[in-house]
Amino acid sequence: MTQSSIPTLETRRLTLRGPEPEDYPDFKATFTSYRARFMGGPLNAYESWMLYAAEIGHWQIRGYGMWMIHDKQSDETFGMAGGWKPAKWPEAEIAWVIWPDRNGNGYALEATHAVRNYLYDHCGWETAVSYIDPKNLDSIRLAERLGAVKDKDAATIDGNDAVYRHPAANTLKGSQLAHGIEMEISHYADPLFKPKGWALD
Amino acid sequence: MIDTSRHIPVLETDRLVLRGPKPADLEAFMAFYKTERSHMAGGPLTEKLSWQAFAADFGHWAILGFGRFIVTLLGEDRPIGLVGLYAPHPRPENEVGWVIFDSADEGKGYAREAAQTCLDYAWRVLDWGTAVSYIDPENTASVRLAERLGATLDPDARTPDPEKPCLVYRHPRPEVQS
Repeated sequence: MTQSSIPTLETRRLTLRGPEPEDYPDFKATFTSYRARFMGGPLNAYESWMLYAAEIGHWQIRGYGMWMIHDKQSDETFGMAGGWKPAKWPEAEIAWVIWPDRNGNGYALEATHAVRNYLYDHCGWETAVSYIDPKNLDSIRLAERLGAVKDKDAATIDGNDAVYRHPAANTLKGSQLAHGIEMEISHYADPLFKPKGWALD
Repeated sequence: MIDTSRHIPVLETDRLVLRGPKPADLEAFMAFYKTERSHMAGGPLTEKLSWQAFAADFGHWAILGFGRFIVTLLGEDRPIGLVGLYAPHPRPENEVGWVIFDSADEGKGYAREAAQTCLDYAWRVLDWGTAVSYIDPENTASVRLAERLGATLDPDARTPDPEKPCLVYRHPRPEVQS
């Protein structure tokens, strides 16, 4: 699978494309920052480049991977979302990251909802987990808004992460939950909508 | 279904085929990086880092347009080593590097044959002005190979990691024939 054969996903506000060389500076800015503390970081410059190169290789090895989230209008990047299963991962994961200055707009919800549907519909996934640092409250709240629940019996990566299990493929489609997520996304896309409380991913 | 080779050239020598990495090479790659033998090549690596380094080799090609080839013997597809053009950021310069996975495949001139082919590719196709090889000072076999390839020690060149001793051998770009 080459970069050009990674499918492009369109959502209401976003375009999701495979990671491209010119997006690297945006990735590096986040992964060498404190924002990356729940994602194995902050990384040094070499570690960050190797991880980005590996994000591309992940697509070729697994046939799925992380998409770069772009603004549909301006094409600037907001973060990444997709399927992730490097060495030592007990199960295939749905993962996301939003650049720190882009949170609070519902982009992670919108992108992750789209990639989950894609992985379920086109990659044969029947279940999925997200491995989340228990201190990463924003990500836990996003997992819960996506309908994932803590799975205490599932294997963790290294004992320092909580496993959130997503609703199975066959229960999500057409469910009240799926409609609720779409409604929340549409609220974020509405310029008059002001989220209550503090900013969420 | 998964095409990893579209943008990666295949280079043939008298005895070898140099091709892009394929997912099926993962096992040989990770087996090598588990061994003590890999300490001359940045190893041994944990499973996590070795998987990441393998995946990063694909991305290296995609991002930079060059990278490390999997070395195979002509007529069989078994991966015996990793030779190629390597420049993960923020390395100071473009490198020609070589690794033969198993000592049983050493001493046959495979690394030299593959490295020479990669150097020719760097000069002819990529039009590199210069190239280096970063070599662990204890790795006398690689020092000898660098010298046989015509490289000389460049004591003034920057090394990738100031904390780690490393020799920099510089390969001379051949005079362009017009």
